[in-house]
Amino acid sequence: MRFARRNCFEQIEPLLGRVEHPSRYLNHEWGAQEQQDGPFHVCLLYADVYEVGQPNLGLSILYNEVNAQEGMSCERAYLPWVDMSALMRERDIPLLSLETSSPVASFDLVGITLAHELVCTNIVETLDLAQITIRAEEREQDEPIVIAGGPSVWNCEPVAPMFDAVLLGDGEGALVEIAACVRDARAQDVPRHELLMRLSRIAGVYVPSLYEIVCDETSTRWGYAVPKPGSGAPEVVYKRCVESLARTEPVAQRIVPYMGVVQDRFALEILRGCARACRFCQAGMTYRPVRERPKDQIVEAVERGLCESGFDECSLSSLSTTDHSQCAPILRELGERLDDRGVRVSIPSQRLDSFGVDMASIVGSSRKAGLTFAPEAGTQRLRDVINKNVTDEDLDRAAQNAFACGYRRMKLYFMMGLPTEDDNDVEGISSTATHVVELGREQLGPRSKVSVSISVAVFVPKSHTPFQWAGQLPLEEVHRRQQLMLHAATNRAVRISYHDAETSQIEGVLSKMGRRGFDLVMEAWRCGCRFDAWTDQFSFERWQQAAQAVGIDLEDVACESFPLDARLPWDHTSPGVSKGYLQREWRRAMRQETTHDCTRDTCVGCGVCPTLDVGNDLAETRA
Amino acid sequence: MGEPCRLRVRYVKDGRLAYLGHLEVMNTIMRCVRRSGLPFEVGNGFARRMRIQFSQALPVGAASVGEYYDLMLPYPIDVTQALDRLREASPAALRPNACKLLPRKVPALEAWVDVSRWDVVVQADGVDANGFSRGLDQVVEQGEIAYMRGPKLRRIPVLPSLMSCHATDVADGVALTMETRATEAGSLRPAVLVQAVLGTSPLRVCWVGQWHEQADGSRIDPMGYC
Repeated sequence: MRFARRNCFEQIEPLLGRVEHPSRYLNHEWGAQEQQDGPFHVCLLYADVYEVGQPNLGLSILYNEVNAQEGMSCERAYLPWVDMSALMRERDIPLLSLETSSPVASFDLVGITLAHELVCTNIVETLDLAQITIRAEEREQDEPIVIAGGPSVWNCEPVAPMFDAVLLGDGEGALVEIAACVRDARAQDVPRHELLMRLSRIAGVYVPSLYEIVCDETSTRWGYAVPKPGSGAPEVVYKRCVESLARTEPVAQRIVPYMGVVQDRFALEILRGCARACRFCQAGMTYRPVRERPKDQIVEAVERGLCESGFDECSLSSLSTTDHSQCAPILRELGERLDDRGVRVSIPSQRLDSFGVDMASIVGSSRKAGLTFAPEAGTQRLRDVINKNVTDEDLDRAAQNAFACGYRRMKLYFMMGLPTEDDNDVEGISSTATHVVELGREQLGPRSKVSVSISVAVFVPKSHTPFQWAGQLPLEEVHRRQQLMLHAATNRAVRISYHDAETSQIEGVLSKMGRRGFDLVMEAWRCGCRFDAWTDQFSFERWQQAAQAVGIDLEDVACESFPLDARLPWDHTSPGVSKGYLQREWRRAMRQETTHDCTRDTCVGCGVCPTLDVGNDLAETRA
Repeated sequence: MGEPCRLRVRYVKDGRLAYLGHLEVMNTIMRCVRRSGLPFEVGNGFARRMRIQFSQALPVGAASVGEYYDLMLPYPIDVTQALDRLREASPAALRPNACKLLPRKVPALEAWVDVSRWDVVVQADGVDANGFSRGLDQVVEQGEIAYMRGPKLRRIPVLPSLMSCHATDVADGVALTMETRATEAGSLRPAVLVQAVLGTSPLRVCWVGQWHEQADGSRIDPMGYC
């Protein structure tokens, strides 16, 4: 049922004194769009609490873009924390938007971010709290059109039944096009099914209900999707791709939150895409090609953004900031301009070489808190398998340079369970960390306070990567290898933390399943799963209970590897990277052959540029 | 340019922003100052933060007609212009309404302001002003109030923290006008007192005045400090 649009703040106001962090529900932040006249209303929804969703840069870009359109308004909504949800349900208050406190079910279009796999039960919770029919196919004619987008659309099948449409790739331009299509169809009183067919004709838009799942000898047990006869839907939906980042507005983040959020700083996207081609990395494959903003635009935008927002920290955001062709001059110029204002500049990821340390030193000036690097694997052999393109010498030079620059603490990220990993690689994680400690002591003296923390995630094979065919390790084996790694670490200056194997298995299951996986998601939600990405809320027992109820063996699903020629559940959605390239990369991985970065060398034939008619767009030649 | 000094600013906290915590208010105000473009001094510590001092923390959910902060300036500025710029850069519900230049060396606001006046409205079934006053007498007689603040048990002596409390009947319950004094044992929050008397939370709390009490009992308004 479509709800009436009206301000319901008076319903939640009496609850504010009874919940944790009432500032999650206040709105009226600096920069929020108070005027929401419509008449076409869009609600962008992040299915987690405010402080997690608000810093999302993608949503900020889309929020500004829709609000800039004549006749369109865009608001935000987040999933209330469990205390507020319980009170709202008790009083039959539906989920409300922030800006006008209108029921989310009163909007014309609701866009939900697929931020990661573990958000799936939160999406069910969100729709249920909003009192929007959970299954798209059962929605009534006048209910909102519910779409999804974001980094985790690349195997959206386990959640696809909840969405009328899914946008693949960059949202700039596309969301407005979708909104206009819905607005026009609504004005013509077009039936919902016809409206969805119109949406499917927009580039980058996948409409799950127009596809049926076929399971045969060419596929995995999850089948593959083909357009329903007469639907006119394309066999493969390719992603939307912005040709030039430089031609888009750089200052996206205009709302200044009251409460402390997870990234409480002004963020500017300085480049999109990464061509380093790490074989486990989904973002590296799905955000191609590489598009950089030029230095002058970045410097001007940082100054403007800081001035308008009042933040005292700026993050130069991207998948690989120190790969920007003008990284050094950008950081130097920002340093000169911002030094006397008490503003910090941060770069989210450092390249694992001497250059990365130099860049960190420029932004860190006199502050030498610590440096973070991601070698990902403990041996050169395994780093070649995953195409990390980092040598032992690079790591040594980076560490030596860091200690010489005054850093004493280092954090190293690794993954466990990568394809072909053996015990030698696992012990290599501990010995790499110990080696870095020794380098520090050699340089700074045997009693210097050098410390190295390592954080070890469990590998989750992701769709559209060269490792998409791989299976995950069984839980018992993950636990054994974790113990092996702990026992191999004898140096007290090395601190080890590792991800919960059970949580990673659920991620693995959700990354592998096809559309039938939605039964598991629904059952898990019925069993009480919510906020699965929050360690204090995650319950593996409830997921097991749900899996048993729907006849799925979690370990069996997560650990299954797929034949290289099988039709996969996500083959009908494409970021432009060809399956042939991914297969080639898998074979090269098995031969421990590395592949170069096409922004520094020749084309590697991934297929993105010819398929999407785009290309790498660099500000300068990369060194 | 002149000597470094401080800009004392009085601002409101009302509407839905009454639900901001003290840390949230502090961060928001520092961002307002940066947006205003006013000059300010930056500390030399590890994080190089803006040099600014705030008055005592206001409880979450409580409004105030006059909160204060002192911004450390590298040189004196025009206060009328400063007020205009701060107002333009602040959300309406945290908007400054007065400011004044003070010498750098004055006592820190948080410790200096020690007397507060509150307007509180409470609602409880069958309780009128007389009933509240009787309950209050019993609490005063007990001598101290024990209450939980998060996981911690706290105790605060009712006297001398509570200087006065007058109850009157109003349309939506009982209105209290109370004055409290900050003591070494802490500050008595209106919600703690109301909870101790009625076992319920107040409907509305508003901080309507703050002063420094001198040895002779006279009071100085923070904006009246010379």
